[in-house]
Amino acid sequence: MNKKNLIDGLKLTFADIRVNKDEDELMKIYAKKEQVKTILRYLKDNGYDHLALVSCVDWINEGEFGLIYILTSYADNNEAYKETGDVYLKTRISRRKPETESVIENFENAEPYEREIHELFGVDFIGHPRLIPLFLDRNYEVPPFRKNFDTRKYVKDFFESIPAVSEEKT
Amino acid sequence: MRELELFFGPQHLGMVGNFSITLSVEGDKILKATSDPGFLHRGFEKLMECRTWMQNFPLVCRINVVEPDHMEMVYAMAVEKLAGIEVPERAHWVRSIYLELARIASHLFGLWAYSNMLGFDTAAQWAMYHRDLILDLFEELTGGRVYHIYIWPGGVRRDFPEGFTDKIVKTLHSIGKSVPDYNDTFFKNPLFYERTRNIGKVTREEAEKWGGVGQVLRATGKPFDIRKVEPYAAYDKVDFNIPTREEGDAYSRIMVIRDEMIESVHLIFKLIEGLPKGKVYNKVPNPFKWKIKEGESYVRVESSRGELGLYLVSDGGDKPYRAHFRTPSYSHGLTVLEKVLEGANISDVGNIMISMYVCAPEIDR
Repeated sequence: MNKKNLIDGLKLTFADIRVNKDEDELMKIYAKKEQVKTILRYLKDNGYDHLALVSCVDWINEGEFGLIYILTSYADNNEAYKETGDVYLKTRISRRKPETESVIENFENAEPYEREIHELFGVDFIGHPRLIPLFLDRNYEVPPFRKNFDTRKYVKDFFESIPAVSEEKT
Repeated sequence: MRELELFFGPQHLGMVGNFSITLSVEGDKILKATSDPGFLHRGFEKLMECRTWMQNFPLVCRINVVEPDHMEMVYAMAVEKLAGIEVPERAHWVRSIYLELARIASHLFGLWAYSNMLGFDTAAQWAMYHRDLILDLFEELTGGRVYHIYIWPGGVRRDFPEGFTDKIVKTLHSIGKSVPDYNDTFFKNPLFYERTRNIGKVTREEAEKWGGVGQVLRATGKPFDIRKVEPYAAYDKVDFNIPTREEGDAYSRIMVIRDEMIESVHLIFKLIEGLPKGKVYNKVPNPFKWKIKEGESYVRVESSRGELGLYLVSDGGDKPYRAHFRTPSYSHGLTVLEKVLEGANISDVGNIMISMYVCAPEIDR
């Protein structure tokens, strides 16, 4: 299988997806959030068996979160991968109701990534077995990696309200 | 027998770094393990969104304390890719030599942690001493011992001083002389063999399923190395081997690390031999006004622990819009470790964790 077959196969199997076709550009697949799980399955079956990263970007002006899954391959003889390089699977979800399906069934190492995105961006992953805190030990009103989280205000409110040691004693 | 909950770390003799594992144990057998990396959160990725492209260099190198140089490299590569900056030929070679030195220093630090934890204090002290010799080289080259900020977009900050390559060769020879001593006291010591053989076994299928990279995968016989898969710097211009083992246990992981150090030394000699002449730095725009066009990039390098990636997004401004590091310890510490610890013995927790080279600062960026 080469790059052209892969793109044709993807377009044939999934409706409404957009694949970046530039020759020397990165291969990016734009899909709806409902399709992500099946596309990942399809790519995994076609040799893209290493999920390198799941990341989230807060596009606040457009009112959306961008989720991105970066896939690479472990195999040495993967013809399509040699042509395409890393594959970016991208989807957008609404900021108002940020939820999408978990992909742990396809890639087990997505589990901590989804936990992290849930904690830092407030995205809910349906079907995730444990969306428990990963890094943070306090509750935040706005998840801290969102663009509308005001770091300065948070520092001011949180740390300036703690009295200095000398004041506390008197 | 009664099931108990045991907190392994962050304050524990067998634990290296700010990391904790909550274990459910029955007797001394582990039923379930839950990693908790959140003791160090510094929010670097958020902080990077508030700093200009150049101001971020002192930040990224602090993400992983043990090997700041690969962090610099991956960030510089991402910025170069976004901004379309070319790097002079000599800078590629200088970067490779520098990164290989960093790999040896990091492996020696890991060797210290591992042998210290298993009680081989002599080898641990040697490793610390030999790492110091490499840090001396870094100090001469960059002015800093641990954090160097040497690699910049467009090349490296300064060229090697006169006679520096000879110094590298001399230092590496003096470290290389101790390899038989290391073998006798540590690597080929029957006590070490007994302690690590068949401990923390991972098969190749499991390693691939759980997102393993680096030593975890190479110890199962798979020569997966980003330096070969997706060559960067000058790694495609010299020939080198990727050490592998077949068993996939703690012993083979450590032996892979040992072989890698030796291979890195040979690689540095080859790189020094072929080092071309020329400039080492292409000028970048004024850092205070530098805006990078809209775009995104994912770049990866082979750090001493495995695949280290960076997903960097620019919205056309003078700061990154989003940065996300894919660190090798992330999958190893949070996915592979939890699965491998199920059914293991309490006394092997630290052993398994350090043999996978889990480094907490890398997980909790």
